[in-house]
Amino acid sequence: MKPIIRFKKFFRFFSAMPALGWLFGFLTAVIIEYLIGDNIAWMLGLPKIPALFGFLIMLKKPLLIPGASAYIIIVYLLPLTLTARFCSGTINKIAAKLYKLPTPVYTVLYLIFLYIIIDIWAGISDYRIVTIKLTFIAIILTLSLNVINGYMGEFSCSHTGFMALGAYTASTVTLILCANDKLFGEALLPSYLAPFLFPIALIAGGIIAAIGSLLVAIPSFRTRGDYLAIISLAFMFIVKSLIENLEVLGGARGMGSQPHLANLPTVFIWTALSIWIINNFVTSIIGKATNAVRDNETAANAMTVNTRKTKIVTFMFAAFWAGIAGGLFAHVLCYVNPGTFGIKKLAEIFTMVYFGGLNSVVGSIIGAISFNLASEALRPLELFKWIIIPVIMILIMIYKPTGLVAFKEFNIKKILAPKGDK
Amino acid sequence: MKKLSLILTAIFFALFVLSTSGWCWGKKKTIKIGINAPITGDIPKVGENTKNTAKMWLEDIEKAGGIEIAGEKYPVEIIVEDNEAQAESAVKTNTKMITEDEVIIVIGPQSSKQAIPAGGVANSYATPMISPWSTNPDTTKDRPYVFRGCFLDPFQGPMLANFAKNEFGYTKAAVLYDVASDYPKGLAEYFKQSWEKNNGEGSVVSYESFTTKDADFSSQLTKIVNSGAEVLFVPQYYNEVALIVKQARELGWKKPILGSDSWGSSETITLCGSDCYGAFFSTHYAAAGAEGITKEFIDRYKEKYGYVPDDVCALTWDSLKLAQNAIESLTEFSGDIKKDRVKVKNNLAKIKNFEGVTGNMSFTSDGDPVKCAVIVKISDTGEFRFYKSVCP
Repeated sequence: MKPIIRFKKFFRFFSAMPALGWLFGFLTAVIIEYLIGDNIAWMLGLPKIPALFGFLIMLKKPLLIPGASAYIIIVYLLPLTLTARFCSGTINKIAAKLYKLPTPVYTVLYLIFLYIIIDIWAGISDYRIVTIKLTFIAIILTLSLNVINGYMGEFSCSHTGFMALGAYTASTVTLILCANDKLFGEALLPSYLAPFLFPIALIAGGIIAAIGSLLVAIPSFRTRGDYLAIISLAFMFIVKSLIENLEVLGGARGMGSQPHLANLPTVFIWTALSIWIINNFVTSIIGKATNAVRDNETAANAMTVNTRKTKIVTFMFAAFWAGIAGGLFAHVLCYVNPGTFGIKKLAEIFTMVYFGGLNSVVGSIIGAISFNLASEALRPLELFKWIIIPVIMILIMIYKPTGLVAFKEFNIKKILAPKGDK
Repeated sequence: MKKLSLILTAIFFALFVLSTSGWCWGKKKTIKIGINAPITGDIPKVGENTKNTAKMWLEDIEKAGGIEIAGEKYPVEIIVEDNEAQAESAVKTNTKMITEDEVIIVIGPQSSKQAIPAGGVANSYATPMISPWSTNPDTTKDRPYVFRGCFLDPFQGPMLANFAKNEFGYTKAAVLYDVASDYPKGLAEYFKQSWEKNNGEGSVVSYESFTTKDADFSSQLTKIVNSGAEVLFVPQYYNEVALIVKQARELGWKKPILGSDSWGSSETITLCGSDCYGAFFSTHYAAAGAEGITKEFIDRYKEKYGYVPDDVCALTWDSLKLAQNAIESLTEFSGDIKKDRVKVKNNLAKIKNFEGVTGNMSFTSDGDPVKCAVIVKISDTGEFRFYKSVCP
C-alpha cells in the first residue's frame, strides 16, 4: 500500500492545477527544449532531440532507452512537476482573473497560448509539423464521423467518399486559381492571393461534399441500420470510381502539385473552428434532436421532432466537415489519388471514433490524437504494430464497449475553470 | 520491494552510463542512407525484397570497411522506415528520415502512389531520392533532386508494340487493363497509341477494361476472343495476370499474350502455372540465363534468402549502387549534410553509362535513366528466358 500512497501524494498537487497551469508547464518545457534541448540531448548521448517523446529512438535503439527517458524527465516532466508544485497558487489566481472575462475572449486567449506552445514544440523538427498537421486533420475527421455514428447512431461508411470530394474540389480550385500545373495550366491569380483563397477553396470542398451527402441521405433515410451502412459504402465506391474515370482530374494517376497552403496555423485554426462549431451543433436543439432520433425515432417523431430534416441536416453537416478535412489533407500532402480514399482510410477513421468514444467531442479528440501518436510511435515495429494496435482496440471494445470517453459533454468553461484553493 | 527497486535503479543507471558514454568515444561521421519501403500494407513482398536487398548491400559495404570518400573510409548506416504502402505515411517517413535522421540520400518509395508525394518532400528539402520502381512520369518531373531506377511507361508501351509488329508481324491487338490503377492504365494508353501509329486507326480491335479486385473477366475476354485480335496485351500485376490468363485460355484464346514489367515476379508462375507458358513480357532484367554481374547478384541473393530476386530487388540494388557511386565521387565528406546532399545530387545527375545488374544506364536531365529493356519469354518449364534486348 505504501508506494501507492506515496504515488498519490506525489500527484496530489497536479489535481490542484488548472488548465492554465498545464499550459504554463508545457510552455516552460518547450522553451527549455527550444533553447537547450540540443545540449541536453548531447549530454545524454542522444543523437538529436527525440522527436516524438523518445518513442522512436527507444524502439529503434534499445540502448538509448535510459537516455531518452532521462531526456523526457528533465525536459517535460520536471518543468511540469515544478510548475504544479510551486506555481499552482499564482496560476490559479491568474486563471480566476481570466475566468471573469467573457467566455469567447478567454477561450481565444487560451487557444493562442496553446498555439504558441505547439508552434515552438513543432518548430524544432519538420517531422513534428507533418505529424501534428495530419493529427489535427484526423481530429476533424473523427469528430465529423462521430456526429453521424455517435450522435445520430447511424452507421455511415461514406466518410472517405466525402473526404475525397472535398479534397478534389479544394485541389481543383487552388490548382486552377493559384498554381501552374499540367492539368489546368497557368495560375489565373497572382500567388499572394492564394492564402486568402484557400479558405474559400476549402469551404467549396465542404459544400460539394455536403451536396454529395444528399445523394446518400435522400434515398437511404427511408431505411436504418445496416441498410444505410451498405448504401453509404456503395457511395464511397461510386466516388472512388468516378474520380478514377475522370481524366480531367488526373484519373487513377492522381492530382499533384497543390500549392503549400496548409501550414500549421491554418490547420490549427480550422481544427479549432471545427471543434467549436461541431460542439455547438451537438449541444444545440438540433443536436439534441439527433440524439432523440438515435434513441427512438418514433418517439422523437411523436415529440414533434422533424426526424427526416434532422437526419439530413446532420448528415450534410458531418459531410461538410469531412470535405474540409479532405481539402486540408490534399494540401498537406500536395498530392491526392483516388486510391487513398478507400476502405483502409475508412477503417482508420472508424478506429479513432470507436477508440475515443461515441457521442463525445473530447473522446474524438483523444481518439484521434492517441491513434495517430501510437501509430507513429510504433512504426519502427513494422508488422508488430499491426498486431499491437488491433489488440489494444479489442481490449478497449471488451472493457469499454463505447470507447474511452463516451457520452461526455465537452464544456469549455469547466475545462478552463480555475481550481479551488487547497 | 525495496531490493527490487534498488536493482532496477542500478540497471537503469548502468545502461544510462553505457549509452551516454557515446560522446566520450567521440562521434565518427557516418553516412546515413534512408530506405523508404512498404514493409506492411498492400504490397509487403515488395517491402521485404527492398529491405533484403539493402541488407545485402550493407554487408558488402561493411566488409569493405565503409564507403571511401577522398581516401578516407566512413561507416555506413541504413535507416529502414515502413511507409505502409500509404501516401501520407510515405510523406511522414520521408520527412522523418530527412530532418531527424539526416540521411544523405533516400532510396524508395517503390510504387508511384507513395513516390510522387514523397518525391515532393525530398525535393523541397533538397535531398536526393532514387525511386527504384516508380514508373509514373510525375515522380521525377520538375524535381531536380528526384531520380528513378527504371524505365518509364512512355518507353515501355511503344517498345512492346514495336516488338509485336517487328517480331511477328501482327497488325491487330487486344488490350485488357485495370482502369482504376495508375500503372496498367498508363501503359495500356501508350501501347494503344503507338500500335495505332504503326498499324493505322482501329488496329487495336478490342480495348477492354475492368476495375481493381475484379475476379471475373469472361465478358471482356469473350469480346476479345471474338474480335479477331492476333495478340493480347495484359499490363497487369502478377495476381491478376494469373486470373486473366487462365480465363482467357479457358475461353479458347490460343494466340500469344504480351505482358509488362509487372509480370516479373516469381509469384506469376506459382499462381498462373502452365497457362502462362509461352507468354512474352518486357522487364528490367531476366534472371534465367543472366551473365556477368547480374548472375553474380542473382546467385548471391538466392543463396542468402532462398528465392530468385525479382525486378524490385535488382532495381533497388542498382539504385543503391548508384547512390554509392555518387557518394564515392564526392571530393570530401564535410559532415555538413545540406552541402553534401547537393553534391551527391550533382554527382548522380552526371552519372553516365553506369553498369548495373539491370543493364547500363545514364540519367537524363529529368532524372530518368536511359536504359535497355529485356523481352522475356516464359519457357515450357516456367522459367523467365531472355528473348531479346531492346534499347531506346
